Amino acid sequence: MVPTSLGPLLAAATEAGLVVLSAASWPETTADDEVPSLAGFIESTFSPLLAAVAARALRRRPGPAVPGAVTAIVMVTALGDMTSATRVAAAVDAGTRVSPLLFFQSVPNAVAGYLAARWDLTGPVVCVSGMSAGLGIAALLIDDADADDALVIRIDLAVAGDGRDRGAALLVTRPDRDDPLTA
Amino acid sequence: MSDERVSRGTGEVVVTGTAVLSAYGPGTETLLSGVLSGRPAFAPVQRFDVSARRVGFAAAMAGSPQLDTEVARTVREACDEAGLSPSARARTPLFLAIHGDPAAPRAAAAGRPALGPEAFAGAVAHACGLAEQDLRCYMSACVAASSAISDAAAIIARGQADRVVVAGGYLVEPDQFALFDAGRVLASDGQVRPFSAGRRGLLLGDGVGAVVIESSEAARARRALPLARIAGWGRSGDAYHPCQPRPDGHGLARAITAALQRAGAVAADIRYINAHGSGTAASDRAEANAIRLALGDAAETVPVSSTKSLHGQALEASGVLELIVTLLALRKGMLPVNAGYLGVDDGCGLRLVLDEPLAADAELAMSHNCAFGGANTAIVVGLP
Repeated sequence: MVPTSLGPLLAAATEAGLVVLSAASWPETTADDEVPSLAGFIESTFSPLLAAVAARALRRRPGPAVPGAVTAIVMVTALGDMTSATRVAAAVDAGTRVSPLLFFQSVPNAVAGYLAARWDLTGPVVCVSGMSAGLGIAALLIDDADADDALVIRIDLAVAGDGRDRGAALLVTRPDRDDPLTA
Repeated sequence: MSDERVSRGTGEVVVTGTAVLSAYGPGTETLLSGVLSGRPAFAPVQRFDVSARRVGFAAAMAGSPQLDTEVARTVREACDEAGLSPSARARTPLFLAIHGDPAAPRAAAAGRPALGPEAFAGAVAHACGLAEQDLRCYMSACVAASSAISDAAAIIARGQADRVVVAGGYLVEPDQFALFDAGRVLASDGQVRPFSAGRRGLLLGDGVGAVVIESSEAARARRALPLARIAGWGRSGDAYHPCQPRPDGHGLARAITAALQRAGAVAADIRYINAHGSGTAASDRAEANAIRLALGDAAETVPVSSTKSLHGQALEASGVLELIVTLLALRKGMLPVNAGYLGVDDGCGLRLVLDEPLAADAELAMSHNCAFGGANTAIVVGLP
């Protein structure tokens, strides 16, 4: 299943020489109203949304993951978790305490660590600002055999109150990638 | 530990320009003399109000340096040292490791994209006459700069680019300081003591660094003298926890092994490790396990220090700051100390450089960086 809204991303992946194994987005249907909460992550939808859309793409992987295969996590976000950052800035400016939980989610890596542990993704973890860079890094990591495939996840939090948070995830590999166990 | 998986392009990758700013002040000579002095740069924070924080120490230079100004100046200096012509600069992309502009979360929502990392990097590229296409921003916390260096080396080795400028910048500021303080990871005694008994945690530090990385052919063609080689690089993930390292070190060990293989080196060839060495117990012990796992018997003899004990933790910029420290130490033949050491931590057991810098005739050294999310990098630096 490939959501139709992902057309431009799929085209960009193809342009980068990648094969898309599975894809997901948020929202996909009207049922995608509220991002499911994620234990340990507070106040911001950034990490829960990233985890949700990534899980969707991983569940759609065609066939089971090959044992021993290495999957990289490449996160793409223009502004990062701006919701958490605004909470921190407000607390600092007001001279009040910052929640310790905000420390643990202050970088996108933290939710990548959650994802990696949950799905046994042992490849490199990277976060960059643009999709072109993210897809290029995915291709490079696979070519260099640092990974067999890569989960590229883009998160765009709504910048205004009336907007919607959006996410997309592509599980990609290279067309000439052999069975990772025999490569 | 062996892993026959890794690959790389065949091109040789060199560094032809470096520039840096740290709590010791601007310049590579200042940084080298600072770390070789063995005197940590930590002091009470004057730059902003820390009266509401549990801990009030950091390694910050005097005054209130501006990140955009300092990153641009550092990039320009690295390009100058590399002898890059204006036309060469205009063809060279910038990979910038950065957390983000503290002004962004304080701006109105509609104004934030203009304060985002890409806008920041674009302005730096423009100010320095670099290519404004193909720029990248890395925001992967403490492996941001080392990931950018690894990617730059990888694409240059594959012939996909002749040259990349990699820069990273972090200047101690109130938001990250408040977060780290809230996370209770800052050292209340004002010292960072990696791999040591009695350690209290980490401290933040200023770091802005830039390196010009290029193919040896491109450097030769313009008669530029390499300062060092980026001989090998490795990246891996722990798949363990959102913010704790995998205790057995297996994740970082895979990155180290991959870096060695790309360098065509064996463990005994590595004569210095500039460790990630954050100064927190879980991280130090995981790294020590990784070094033993990846290097085997050589782990007993290779000198190790974490210069975070001197210049502090520069977050997204750590990888480039510490690569420059490693390169300078190799070129000088003097390895900086692991400062703040109080005594043996039974969980570590490495050959630390203690008391005074160690004279070493080293050809190859390694720089490690680790981050939240179990992200690990290892870079092998060699003399040209």
